[in-house]
Amino acid sequence: MKKRYVTSWIIFSALLLYSSCSHDTIDFNSDVRPILNKHCLACHGGVKAQSGLSFLFEEDAYALTKSGQSAIVRGNAHASELFKRITSDDPDLLMPADRPPLSEQEIKTIEQWINEGASWGTHWAYLAPDRDAEISAAAGAPAVNEIDHFIMAQLDEQNLKPSARADAATLLRRVSLDLTGLPPTPAEAQLYLSDTTDTGYERLIDHLLASDHFGERWASVWLDLARYADSQGYQKDLIRRSIWRYRDWVIHAFNQDMPFNQFTIEQIAGDLLPDATEHQILATAFHRNTMTNDEGGTDDEEFRVAAVLDRVNTTFEIWQGTTIACVQCHSHPYDPIKHEEYYGLYAFFNNTADRDNSMDLPVMELYSPIDHNAKIRYEKVLTELKSDGDTLSDTYQEKLKEYLQLQPAAVPIMSELPKEEQRSTHVFEKGNWLVHGKKVDPHTPGFLTPFDESYSKDRLGLAKWLVSPENPLTARVIVNRFWEQLFGRGLVATLEDFGTQGDPPSHQELLDWLAVEFMTADEWSVKTLLKKIVLSHTYRQSSQIRPKQYAADPLNVYLSRGSRYRLSAEAIRDQALQVSGLFNSEVYGASVMPHQPEGVWNVIRHAASWRQDTTGDQYRRALYTFWRRVSPYPSMQTFDVPSRELCVSRRIRTNTPLQALVTLNDPVFVEAAEQMARGSLAKYAQDIDTRISDMYYAALMKTPEPAAHRDLLAFYNSTVEDYQSKQETHLSASEIDFYATVNVANVILNLDEFIMRN
Amino acid sequence: MKIIQELHEAQQDRLTRRHFLKDGSIGLGAMALGSLMGCQSSTQTSSIESQVKELTKKIPKAKRVIFLHMAGAPSQLELFDYKPLLQKLNGQACPDSFLEGKRFAFIKGVPEMLGPQFSFQQYGESRSWVSELLPEFSQVVDDVAFLKAVHTEEFNHAPAQLFMHTGSPRTGRPGFGSWVTYGLGSENENLPGFVVLVSGNSIPSGGKSLWGSGFLPSEYQGVELRSKGDPVLYIKNPDYISRDIRKKAIRTINEINQQSYDEIGDPEILSRMAQYELAFKMQMTVPEATNLSSEPDYIHELYGTHPGEVSFANNCLLARRLAERDVRFIQLYHRGWDSHGSNDFENLHGGFLQRCHEIDKPMTALIIDLKQRGLLEDTLVVWGGEFGRTPMQENRGGIKNPFKGRDHHGEAFTMWMTGAGVKTGVTYGETDEIGYHAISGKIHIHDLQATILHQLGVDHESLTYQFQGREFRLTDVHGEVVYDIIS
Repeated sequence: MKKRYVTSWIIFSALLLYSSCSHDTIDFNSDVRPILNKHCLACHGGVKAQSGLSFLFEEDAYALTKSGQSAIVRGNAHASELFKRITSDDPDLLMPADRPPLSEQEIKTIEQWINEGASWGTHWAYLAPDRDAEISAAAGAPAVNEIDHFIMAQLDEQNLKPSARADAATLLRRVSLDLTGLPPTPAEAQLYLSDTTDTGYERLIDHLLASDHFGERWASVWLDLARYADSQGYQKDLIRRSIWRYRDWVIHAFNQDMPFNQFTIEQIAGDLLPDATEHQILATAFHRNTMTNDEGGTDDEEFRVAAVLDRVNTTFEIWQGTTIACVQCHSHPYDPIKHEEYYGLYAFFNNTADRDNSMDLPVMELYSPIDHNAKIRYEKVLTELKSDGDTLSDTYQEKLKEYLQLQPAAVPIMSELPKEEQRSTHVFEKGNWLVHGKKVDPHTPGFLTPFDESYSKDRLGLAKWLVSPENPLTARVIVNRFWEQLFGRGLVATLEDFGTQGDPPSHQELLDWLAVEFMTADEWSVKTLLKKIVLSHTYRQSSQIRPKQYAADPLNVYLSRGSRYRLSAEAIRDQALQVSGLFNSEVYGASVMPHQPEGVWNVIRHAASWRQDTTGDQYRRALYTFWRRVSPYPSMQTFDVPSRELCVSRRIRTNTPLQALVTLNDPVFVEAAEQMARGSLAKYAQDIDTRISDMYYAALMKTPEPAAHRDLLAFYNSTVEDYQSKQETHLSASEIDFYATVNVANVILNLDEFIMRN
Repeated sequence: MKIIQELHEAQQDRLTRRHFLKDGSIGLGAMALGSLMGCQSSTQTSSIESQVKELTKKIPKAKRVIFLHMAGAPSQLELFDYKPLLQKLNGQACPDSFLEGKRFAFIKGVPEMLGPQFSFQQYGESRSWVSELLPEFSQVVDDVAFLKAVHTEEFNHAPAQLFMHTGSPRTGRPGFGSWVTYGLGSENENLPGFVVLVSGNSIPSGGKSLWGSGFLPSEYQGVELRSKGDPVLYIKNPDYISRDIRKKAIRTINEINQQSYDEIGDPEILSRMAQYELAFKMQMTVPEATNLSSEPDYIHELYGTHPGEVSFANNCLLARRLAERDVRFIQLYHRGWDSHGSNDFENLHGGFLQRCHEIDKPMTALIIDLKQRGLLEDTLVVWGGEFGRTPMQENRGGIKNPFKGRDHHGEAFTMWMTGAGVKTGVTYGETDEIGYHAISGKIHIHDLQATILHQLGVDHESLTYQFQGREFRLTDVHGEVVYDIIS
């Protein structure tokens, strides 16, 4: 019986093969590498090279193995040990050992590949983007700009049709939330809804790009990458009182549309720029967001090393979309990065003066913008008084006292050690920082662009190398991050991994085109990039789902419809504040403490206390909320913010009952409902029908459909009845009207359409 | 044939318990499912017998875990690891050979040896040693397995606690319960699958990272049931919104959401509607589950509970109530065990004594109560600190401390386990004559984790998650199941 099973299985497989076997030549990257990664690299890769064989680097794959033979004989599969081993009848010889064998199709692919000469290929992301991709519009498809040509061409290939434009209200809310993280104000809504032509849309976009809230929205994305927080991390998690100056630097940089290459250089090596300005030095606080450990008995050098390792990992994740942490201990299991090369990168970062000191030294003394101005004023006044010979007067003494009270903040920054104190870098054997191997100099991995001789071998050189036009990864990785924010999914879905284990790009030509444009025509301008994307028809499509299209592409990889996803933790809070009228639109400044349930910060002995702001700062944007690593703001944590202990490229969106409890009951959301009701009652005291439409409009920029309106009205009426029937509450008629309206507002602020970006 | 059927059913059972994974929106869970179900083990070449053997190992004995973590690290030398020789050496200078190449948190120079501070006796048929500080617990020693040679590399609280609960001394990894609920899902959809209960003066040094979801989706993070204020944050409606009104509100929200779904067709909307209904149910089930007042007097006497307090006793009783309701991973933290000699509130004759008193009755009651309800058969209870204490007296700054205390020590310490297929009345592992080094039966933290996962029916090497380019596991790249302590 067993035998018959096997025979029929072979026949079945043969049939399958026959039907699926293509006669095209085999492509190493798309056909062979995935097979090697899946079946072979665990034992013949960067971690282990058993029997002297590794498929990680081309030269190793064709080299002689320990047996004295080469695993691959180009042009002759049947003479190749690789092929013999994956097809052997002898269970002791059959590869992979102790794991499921390759499928017939996979074996066939390997056979054909070897027979065709076994040519190796470089992974797509390590080759420079194609600068001359041909763009031709698909006939009859809607297109505003080049983006659409790429998208439509691929839709055509997939036999999918694009969607029509989203309605004006949806688009207005979408683009406003996407560019500024806030829903439009009534004035902004009016600006667009009175002119929904292309010109009107472009005017709206320009208006949003020019808003100060633009920088806030994009800073909150960047701060996840920069692992920014207001505390040091680890056990004591001491407070970093002034690190918010870096957060403001980021907001400002986005608002000024600082070219992204400059944005990069200043954060990694602003201190090393010739005649570095205060702001350029402040930018380097970026890599001082690493954690500091002040627990008793810890070895400062151990945690300094941990911080430097984190800087290497973070830099490579952010700019190179390359996950490199595993190379700390051994060569990369799947990507062509050698163990020693990791320490080549480490060497670039190993000579800064910080050493896990609890004071976070070195720091830069920096006056807040307000104090800075005050200081100038006082100096002027004091000089005048002094020139009048008035130094003994009460006025002078008083002013002097006030002047001396202006104290600068100490912001941790990067600072290079003087030459004579510089550390030498050694490979850490198996990643153990106490076991030093070979000494290494700063160098970049061999599989990427060569490091230009003109660059200095320090952080500045590294930063320049990252943003050099020849670097195949940086621009792709960065435009992909912005794309993901606007579509909910990257062109490469694995934002953090452009390596061979990451997802291949869904639209490589588009990605390459965007990347090349970003570096050349756009001159690294983020605003130009974003404008181009949101102007496209692709972006403006309706997110309504058509069943056939959904069946063919449930994840909307090919973008035959607009994307629809849950708002970020920050946007959920900010939106409720904005539409209800509670919003404090002040930009920049020290971190704030909105309402937080009692006891949440009862974290550790050394805890600072949570002092709730009561004078308006509690309604600032979520971005300004004090961020403690051991205890991030609870309602935001429920909506998937990371702890900011490590760089995180993608927040994984979840959908849980605890989220419903936040938007239903968190005091700030309750206050928002109350404020919304109050505002509407003030305008339409007598008329619940109008109030319902008014509040719904404030939330979603459109009036409710009749059915929704009916439901909200019925809910209002039954709530009124409920309050009336509960005699013990002794509410007056107007109080009942108010509370019933609050309940309606609370419902509106919890609608799926409100929680989602449509 | 019969055993295969049984195995098949066991697998089916696990599949249905993990029904949430069927939801297409949670593809990650589905990935874990694939690896958990042992896709890799069923090779063509391996025989039926070896498959059966493989699967038998994977039948879950435990449906849930109650982990009693004594944050701060209680002294094994005052509780379970009785060392008469240490008494003889009391007050003598510690030999150099014990100090060479060692790193301590506080010990400086040459400390003195410190004998056991309390008397010991043997109890039960198992003749297990227990000190006078745990009179109640000494009566149930035949129900537990003592692990006398657990060891860890970490000697500071935060890293060691993180190591115990996330498998890594650094922050950023998922908590134990996150891994378990990610892998197995929750059996009670009206309560969180991973619940955290904290007592003592504040939360443990490792912070909330101990029960954070790390790189796993945030739905797997531990939910703290608070003793004061709302048990779950934001679970209580504002004063003027009654349960009736809330019910109507959620109905209205979902009616309008249904209209959106009819128009837009996004299945995410249906999922959100379900979450709102679930939130509404939780508003009922959480207060009900946490209402200790509903327990009869004899239970309060058994545990020593006083509803309304923040106490380890209340948390033990709550743990049993949650176990009854099929919560998957119930994590208790009781803080204040850092028995240095530098202060009155934590030294061996001060705070330590008090802590022992606080835990003795309730943890014993928990075992008795779980057993009498038949829950001990599929509930695994684990007790222990993040490391142990030195046989030497701690002497920070090189001078003698005012009180009797011991420094941090990771080379050998005692934990105990009971329930869900763990052998009873046994002692596994042994330390040397002064309790300094393990001489047999060493269990590393990763081994302990592998064993707990094994009892839950999970192969610790298969429960993985891809992050930063590599597959992560709770047990990192280590861990061996300790088959000797399970039946």
